[in-house]
Amino acid sequence: MAKYIIRRLLEMLITLFLIVTATFFLLSAIPGNALTSKIAKLPKTVQTKIIQKYGYDRPVIERYVITMKGLIIKGDFGESIIRPGETFAKNLKAKLPVTIRLSIQQILLGVTAGILLGIIAAMKRGSYWDKLILVGAMFLVSMPSLVISLLLQKYCANGDILKLPIIGWPKGKELWLGGWKYTILPTIAGSCSFIAYYSRLTKTSMLESINQEYTLTARAKGLSEMQIVKNHVIRNSFIPIITVLPSTVAGILTGSLFIERVFSIPGMGRYYIEAVQGRDIPIVLAGTTFYAIITVITMLITDILYGIVDPRIKIGAGK
Amino acid sequence: MNSLVDKRFELADQSRFDADEVVRPNISYWQDAWRRLKKNKLALLSMAVLIILFVMSMIGPGLSGQNYTTLTPEIKNLPPDSTYWLGTDYLGRDLFSRLWKGLRFSIFVATVAATLKVVIGCIYGAVMAYLGGFVDDVMMRIVEVLNSIPYLIVTLIILVVLGNGYLPLLFALCITNWTSTARMVRGQILKLRESEYIMASSALGASTTRVIAKHLIPNTLSLIILDMATSIPHIIFDETILSFLGIGLQPPAFSLGTLLSAGQEAMAFYPAHLLFPSLLLCLLVLAFNILGDGLRDALDPQLRD
Repeated sequence: MAKYIIRRLLEMLITLFLIVTATFFLLSAIPGNALTSKIAKLPKTVQTKIIQKYGYDRPVIERYVITMKGLIIKGDFGESIIRPGETFAKNLKAKLPVTIRLSIQQILLGVTAGILLGIIAAMKRGSYWDKLILVGAMFLVSMPSLVISLLLQKYCANGDILKLPIIGWPKGKELWLGGWKYTILPTIAGSCSFIAYYSRLTKTSMLESINQEYTLTARAKGLSEMQIVKNHVIRNSFIPIITVLPSTVAGILTGSLFIERVFSIPGMGRYYIEAVQGRDIPIVLAGTTFYAIITVITMLITDILYGIVDPRIKIGAGK
Repeated sequence: MNSLVDKRFELADQSRFDADEVVRPNISYWQDAWRRLKKNKLALLSMAVLIILFVMSMIGPGLSGQNYTTLTPEIKNLPPDSTYWLGTDYLGRDLFSRLWKGLRFSIFVATVAATLKVVIGCIYGAVMAYLGGFVDDVMMRIVEVLNSIPYLIVTLIILVVLGNGYLPLLFALCITNWTSTARMVRGQILKLRESEYIMASSALGASTTRVIAKHLIPNTLSLIILDMATSIPHIIFDETILSFLGIGLQPPAFSLGTLLSAGQEAMAFYPAHLLFPSLLLCLLVLAFNILGDGLRDALDPQLRD
């Protein structure tokens, strides 16, 4: 087990190194970066000084070595071009809690509600409830979260139906708990697709284990329906649910890119998009690496969870 | 005494002689799939909706005869009436025409990107499965690296590097999407290669070309069609998000995402600007999703629950 994790961690490092390198060279291929437009009106001597300060007068390879050195020594990709003096790490401290809270709320609501609905649909298969959940899930899957967030913002905020604020996010003491009225709409907007996805997945995977022989055995030996579902069906149907966890996290991260924009939430997603739009290369580079790290770690955790949830799978046991 | 006449030795049931004769007409896999799809009324309906949407996206922009390209500030933000069927936007352009023009672009991007994704993914996956060994390992690692960043982020970076426009957008949408197809094709081919009927086929002397044409391609094709059908809604989502964020398209080009973005700005006073693009987008994706589900049931009867 420990050997396996160490091997995976090493592989992760290689992957991350490849990502950083690829992103660096891709971004340095941009002809005009944020710097050129920023200093366009300054006198020539100042221009060269600023270019020197950011190191853009050097060849790409040298810049790459400097960046990597800075990354290893200081753990940072350098100052923002658009907002001088700011680094990614500095912003991370302020913006990460916002995104984490939003993500946790979305995952909690989306996954629990989805699994519950899926269990109901599987238990009462063929009934009206089942059909209702099926149709509802189909509609939710087909409504882009972007459209859901926009419609929620239009029709549920600012007094039409509910008195919720249109945009904003709790600050200060209320950063983690409290200020719920701000977080309700973004949470619902982001979790709709997960509710739909998890309810469909749970239903299919539960139906699969309901038709297995161990369920028949459990029924034959006289267990109550509740015991069968609790001890045999649900446990076995959780395996496919665990496997889609990384895609959920990736989905949350991508979702935060535009949900934070729609609701003006000061989180990582909006920050990253602003950096992308402003072509602020150090920040884009750092942001990309940050997202890659999260995804890679999630993948590792999923693989380990696999072994815990399903003892039949022996991880690290070679091919 | 009973005489031994031939008549007594006749079989009671004559029809048993032609038990191995094929009585029913021979139905190919695709005919069968089409028959199953026809039974699914919802899928047929969504197919009809898609055809209508497609036709409307072609003829829709010219239908009302109003201008939707030039700016006429005198008639901006008009409510729906007989001249401007859905009103005009904040620059005085006919919203009805713009809606269909935006839809046209969204459909165009989604189909082209999905086709590219499938083609690239098939070739890549087939090469991985065919060559195996070291090449397979390296190619698989590339896929894994691409998969360790959320795809929208890769798309964003590509767009930052290439700039806005049709071609960069298409390229960026394809750059990560093909990996799932490649994995699927690789897995399917590896699985098929080990299967008994292919072994039997080559044992009977079938050439490689025959095995590929008769077994590998037909058995992978349905999966590929499904993959394409399910990826179209995702690509539409992505394209919408990118256009909404203002990355990807260069004005005056626009898609449903651009209309949504303009709709959000105007939604407090002119909800129609947000509502119509939203509805159209949902209808489009819903139709694609239902058709995709129907196709899955039709193409792979084993998957049905």
